[in-house]
Amino acid sequence: MRILMRAALIVLLWLAGIRGVLADKPVFKLEIRNHLFFPEVLVVPANTRIKLLVRNHDPSPEEFESYELNREKVIMGKRNAVIFIGPLLPGEYPFFGEFHPETALGTVIAE
Amino acid sequence: MAQKLYILRSYRVLCLVLCLSSEAVADGTVIDKVYHPYVQPLERELELRSSIERDSAKTAAETQVYRLGYGQSLNDYWFAEGYLIGQQQQDNSLRLQAFELEALWQLTEQGEYWADWGMLFELEKARSQNIMEFSSALLIEKEWGRWTGTANLHAIYEFGEEINNEFETALATQLRYRYQRSFEPALELYKGQNTLGLGPVVTGTVLLGDRRQLYWEAGAILGLDSDTADQTYRLLLEYEF
Repeated sequence: MRILMRAALIVLLWLAGIRGVLADKPVFKLEIRNHLFFPEVLVVPANTRIKLLVRNHDPSPEEFESYELNREKVIMGKRNAVIFIGPLLPGEYPFFGEFHPETALGTVIAE
Repeated sequence: MAQKLYILRSYRVLCLVLCLSSEAVADGTVIDKVYHPYVQPLERELELRSSIERDSAKTAAETQVYRLGYGQSLNDYWFAEGYLIGQQQQDNSLRLQAFELEALWQLTEQGEYWADWGMLFELEKARSQNIMEFSSALLIEKEWGRWTGTANLHAIYEFGEEINNEFETALATQLRYRYQRSFEPALELYKGQNTLGLGPVVTGTVLLGDRRQLYWEAGAILGLDSDTADQTYRLLLEYEF
């Protein structure tokens, strides 16, 4: 029981710490059309956690994948998804669509 | 400055997790696998996992346990997997010992909060004995640039006619460096009542095209007390399609 209470305490402390991080993340939009990302280049602030709203206009699913951003997320056809990235050091971070890696390509530039 | 704050907060939470683990009371070895709190829709996988324990203090030279599993995501947040668990016998034959069902629940989006959260539920049934085990675990993952820290806090209940009903806890942690997709070195720590082990692990993913990939893990966990096997070698292969 003591261990469970400690676990609950840890969760509460963590959630308390989370509140500060939740405040006002910059929001960016990314669209998928005809198996292409729009825009292909996304410039975002460095050292900041950002919220990426992704809209897949295609009827088929696509997967946003980037080892450099440490993210992979499937976006079903005609659906929206949210991807949180960062905080990023200044630099370029490529991403691609795993369902259409030949055409669905893009880069996040943090500056 | 923000980076320093993250590191300080991470250190504070790591200390809290280690405090919790110091009172863990798990039975038997808990060296197995560190779970990550993420689910991808449309994902299916075949998994082969083995652990080989070697202990100079035991009469049996080594214990080998194998798990063969099939899993698939049910939606954006749930992943289910079933396993057959076999153990090598003294005559070197492999015998089916148990069945296991597992469900992973992703609680938060990756990167949404200070850390990423998930839950794992497991139900294991021995094949020829009336012994069952139900386990739930809190999965926590946090990234610091190329470093990723993961902790699994398990609460386990063993029950049945051929075992003393018992509640146990266990901890599994991993600190991983994301060097490149196909090769990521890591350090893992396992803690339970009869287990205290620490050792290096390497993991990697090989993309095979058409959304198919092979994920692998290999590690050698060294026993840090007299109850834990001297070495536990663990191997994992996942074919995702």
